[in-house]
Amino acid sequence: MKPKKNKEMAVKASSRSISATEALVVHLICGLGLAVAFWVAHNLHSINLTTHPSHTLRLICVIECPIVILLYSRYRKDRERCSYLKAVGRGLLGLPAGALVNALGAIALGAPAGIQYLPKTINWSLVMSLFTIVPAASVFGSSWMDWQRIFACTKAMDPVDYMICIPAHGVIIGAWFGAFPMPLDWERPWQEWPICVSYGAIAGYLVAMVASFGFILVRQHVKGD
Amino acid sequence: MGKRIWVHWVIMALHVVAIVIFTRGFLLTRTELPFYSNCSDVLQSPCSFSVNENQNQNQNQNDTVDQNQQRCWSKPAIGRLVIIVFDALRFDFVAPSTFFQESKPWMDKLQFVQDLAAKNASSARIFKAIADPPTTSLQRLKGLTTGGLPTFIDVGNSFGAPAIVEDNLIHQLAKNGKRVVMMGDDTWMQLFPNHFEKSFPYPSFNVRDLDTVDNGCIEHLLPFLHQEDWDVLIAHFLGVDHAGHIFGVDSVQMIEKLEQYNSILQKVVEALESQSAPGGLHENTLLLVMGDHGQTINGDHGGGSAEEVETSIFALSFKNPPSPLPSEFDTSSCGLDLGRRNICFSSIQQLDFAVTVSALLGIPFPFGSIGRVNPQLYALGAGTWHFEDTAGNYQNKSKLEEWMLNYANVLCTNSWQVKRYIDIYSASSVIGFSNEDLLRIASMYAKAEEKWSHATQKLLLHKKESHNELLPALRRQIDLYSEFLASVAELARSKWTEFNLKMMGTGLGIMLISLLIHFLAIKKVKEQYGFSFTSSGDSGISFGLIFSCFMVVIRACSFLSNSFILEEGKVACFLLATTALVKMRYSIMKKKMILEAFVFLLLITICRFTIEVGLSKQAPSSEFMNAYPSWMLRIAAGFPIWNFVAEALPVVALILLAFLLREAITRSSSKGIWKYIIMGTNLSYMLIAVHWASESDRLNLAWVLKGTGRSYIPRLIYAIGFGQLLLLTFNQLFSKRKSSDHSNLLYIKTVAMFSAWSSTIIILLGKQGPWVALAFIIGGYCIMRLDNIELDVKDGGNWKRMLDPVPVTQWSLFAVCLFFCTGHWCAFDGLRYGAAFTGFEEFLLVPQAILLTMDTFGFSLILPIFGVPFLVARLGQSDKGKKFILLRLSLVYMIYGLIMATSVTATIICVTMHRRHLMVWGLFAPKFVFDVAGLILTDILVCLASHYYFSEVEDDALQDLYTKK
Repeated sequence: MKPKKNKEMAVKASSRSISATEALVVHLICGLGLAVAFWVAHNLHSINLTTHPSHTLRLICVIECPIVILLYSRYRKDRERCSYLKAVGRGLLGLPAGALVNALGAIALGAPAGIQYLPKTINWSLVMSLFTIVPAASVFGSSWMDWQRIFACTKAMDPVDYMICIPAHGVIIGAWFGAFPMPLDWERPWQEWPICVSYGAIAGYLVAMVASFGFILVRQHVKGD
Repeated sequence: MGKRIWVHWVIMALHVVAIVIFTRGFLLTRTELPFYSNCSDVLQSPCSFSVNENQNQNQNQNDTVDQNQQRCWSKPAIGRLVIIVFDALRFDFVAPSTFFQESKPWMDKLQFVQDLAAKNASSARIFKAIADPPTTSLQRLKGLTTGGLPTFIDVGNSFGAPAIVEDNLIHQLAKNGKRVVMMGDDTWMQLFPNHFEKSFPYPSFNVRDLDTVDNGCIEHLLPFLHQEDWDVLIAHFLGVDHAGHIFGVDSVQMIEKLEQYNSILQKVVEALESQSAPGGLHENTLLLVMGDHGQTINGDHGGGSAEEVETSIFALSFKNPPSPLPSEFDTSSCGLDLGRRNICFSSIQQLDFAVTVSALLGIPFPFGSIGRVNPQLYALGAGTWHFEDTAGNYQNKSKLEEWMLNYANVLCTNSWQVKRYIDIYSASSVIGFSNEDLLRIASMYAKAEEKWSHATQKLLLHKKESHNELLPALRRQIDLYSEFLASVAELARSKWTEFNLKMMGTGLGIMLISLLIHFLAIKKVKEQYGFSFTSSGDSGISFGLIFSCFMVVIRACSFLSNSFILEEGKVACFLLATTALVKMRYSIMKKKMILEAFVFLLLITICRFTIEVGLSKQAPSSEFMNAYPSWMLRIAAGFPIWNFVAEALPVVALILLAFLLREAITRSSSKGIWKYIIMGTNLSYMLIAVHWASESDRLNLAWVLKGTGRSYIPRLIYAIGFGQLLLLTFNQLFSKRKSSDHSNLLYIKTVAMFSAWSSTIIILLGKQGPWVALAFIIGGYCIMRLDNIELDVKDGGNWKRMLDPVPVTQWSLFAVCLFFCTGHWCAFDGLRYGAAFTGFEEFLLVPQAILLTMDTFGFSLILPIFGVPFLVARLGQSDKGKKFILLRLSLVYMIYGLIMATSVTATIICVTMHRRHLMVWGLFAPKFVFDVAGLILTDILVCLASHYYFSEVEDDALQDLYTKK
């Protein structure tokens, strides 16, 4: 996919290289957080995404937010100038900003913009932001070059890049496909905005985390050779 | 160059052939005849004489001369008729569950009906009524009342209003002085706007509402049964249909509805029975409880499956005793019900309903009816004749004779009426019946007729002498007539209700072949001139190509579902926004033209909201109206300044548009005809502004143009537009000057073409016109700029030969979006008929068809196709690329055509697959018609545009290029 030369350079330039096991742990914790959120929603509040989309999404956001920010802030770039706390702050700042981008994108694609959908849209876009923008915000901060590299060029160089880039793309592509059943006339409750889109996004996220781990493994393997 | 245009013509021819063949197989058409039956018509029939003869012969009958004169086509057998229609009444709702393989929860709920049928088998009877597809309420009501087979396109039907213009039962009732009362489903009011004496319509569109229509019916039905001021009462209940649509057949709501109906029927029958004594109000009343069609377990209907076409009619006569029915006409099947009682049901075609009821009521049969008077139903009503049921073989026999004679007589009139209809239909309709069929039918009729006029009549005249021969002779006569009528019905069914799969398959095959040819042509041109889809110039597959194919395929696949067709505008917008996002990502990657990408995305977002407004017109209870409640409208009404702004803004947009066009032309070339073109456009725009001002009541400008003067401005604008086009054509034909800059020339030509068309299209579209035109220009500009991202990056020679299919895909998606933005949708009520009357007060077919086409496809086909060079023209700003521009343009045209053809092929496949779908006539067929018309128009426009943009001069240049290679 990418020339080897780049990759070698990237390894040197990267702030802190992590092993495949560590990546796996990070992904597992993220996935687990999601599972915990669903478990709490289902067993403690006895709600689910279909019946109470807004509440469930908020719950996911609340539970997943500290996990993602705290985890990814550990892998921040230029560690000399940026403390852990600053990275956490960047992540927190990235959350609403990313939510705005996601919401605007969704509205451009046709998400309903009525007042009664506002809470749902806000909660959904916060969750989306958590999976797409927040990790990058924690890790890269305001480094436009890195943002461009990850999101426009899809050039991941080290494991951290993979861990940010692939899940983010997975979430967006998953959400995109998740929108497909919305216009169908099956009259199922889950066809409402943003339920099936959220399901699509979560499915995309899970698949992408596996893929990301796979990429990291393969990469390590190639490097080992 | 001529060679490539030739390819366009070939593809167009293939498309036309494919579509014509497919349409012949798929779109069943029938011509509606504007003729009506009259009482006096029957004198022309061979039967009228015999009727009078017969009357004179049968002196023992109590008919008075007075009654004789009142008679019309047949002797009235019943005085009053109560029709209770339960929408979507399945046959197994009515028939006992023992008649079916297994008992289901929804069976045996109309227990009262079964009791009646079991107790008095001769005066109450359950019929299995077989409907003909399409089994939608509107088509079925039409079929029931006209006695014909309504098809998708009943030619002659005025598209906008569904009112039945053909001769029909209700019309005949009204004409012959029968007072008809209607209550329930308001579809009847659409079909028969001013035929009813009294009507109590209730809205039928809200499927979730199970009770409004039914409660309204109940409220009015029972009081009416005690009143005298009506002859025919129709009550149409919708609850079962709605319960089926929402909850399905196997649901609590459905069972509740059926139980409710059971109790209603009980009350109705009690009310009727209490007054059915001789001399009572309902002495001669017949009660019909019927469904218009069936439904599947899921509550769908529209198709031709057994569940959908099998509905029920229950007939109850209050006159005792009814006449005996000869056993050979009694085709009923009997069985035991749950209570071990013997219960029988007969079969009837819905086709026969109109004519049977007409015969019973003694009114002329509807002109276009092709049904047969059903013997069983007729016999039930005929029970009201004065027969004394005394014992005795001879007496019985004479009664049977009399019944059969009467029935033969009715059938004679029936056959004569059907034959008359078939003759006139085949003479007046464009696509009539085949000659062999007509001959076969004519010979059958002649045979029956000959027998009637020679053999049977003689027997009748000498009735006393040839008593034993009469009965068999009548029987044979009836058989002959029945055979004739059955073969007519069969022929009509094959013509009007059965798809011709062979033709559909052939059409689809040719369409697929044309796609292949299209594809190969693109490949050949691409290889011949060394174009490639990748930036590196090799023949590999680029991301853009895969992405475009993906988008086109997704859009094509979306046509497989009715929901996606309903939301087609949103789907197109979604895909367009996706391409825009991908382009935006690309532009961020290249760090260029981010503004354009952003503007384009914003434009699509605006489009998206406009489409939702458009869709809200389509469905009254749409999301948009919920989301933006009426307070917005109230604000608008509160501030007069708002109204003023709303009227002034389009003019501002118009001025902006004129300025843009002027700028575009003068920047490139200010000489020659282009100046006149642009002057004409400016003049047109001014006229449009004046036209709007004169329509507005704010400025009192009405005095400027009084009366017919209003239509002069639009006509002047059409004339200017036409003149501009003529000028461009002449310039094309006679101007031989060599141009040094192809790119520039192409650009000017495109702008000139846009100017020439725009004024007409804008005035047709009304005040949204200039906005859409601006959006069109901005969108085109953004697509073109985004396509040029690589232009400045790579100075090498490769980009010139690189052709990215993404902009073409975007352009075609954008055109689809504009179609929906301008308030159109793929249905006949989506046509803006008002636009056709801009500049014309009265109806003129040809100009208004042209105007309607221009309004419908103006921004979705005409302008985008003539605007395609816009994507190409500015590409070759450097001199190097100029010779490739036309080659590139022709390739772009081919790709554009291929995208269109692919989606139309998908529509055709989908229509073939869903030909028995619930919504085939409501949704798929209109979509098919729109797409097919669009494709043919696209082909024509592509050919014209090719001739326009590729002149001979440039042909030479390309020839040079080709020889050099």
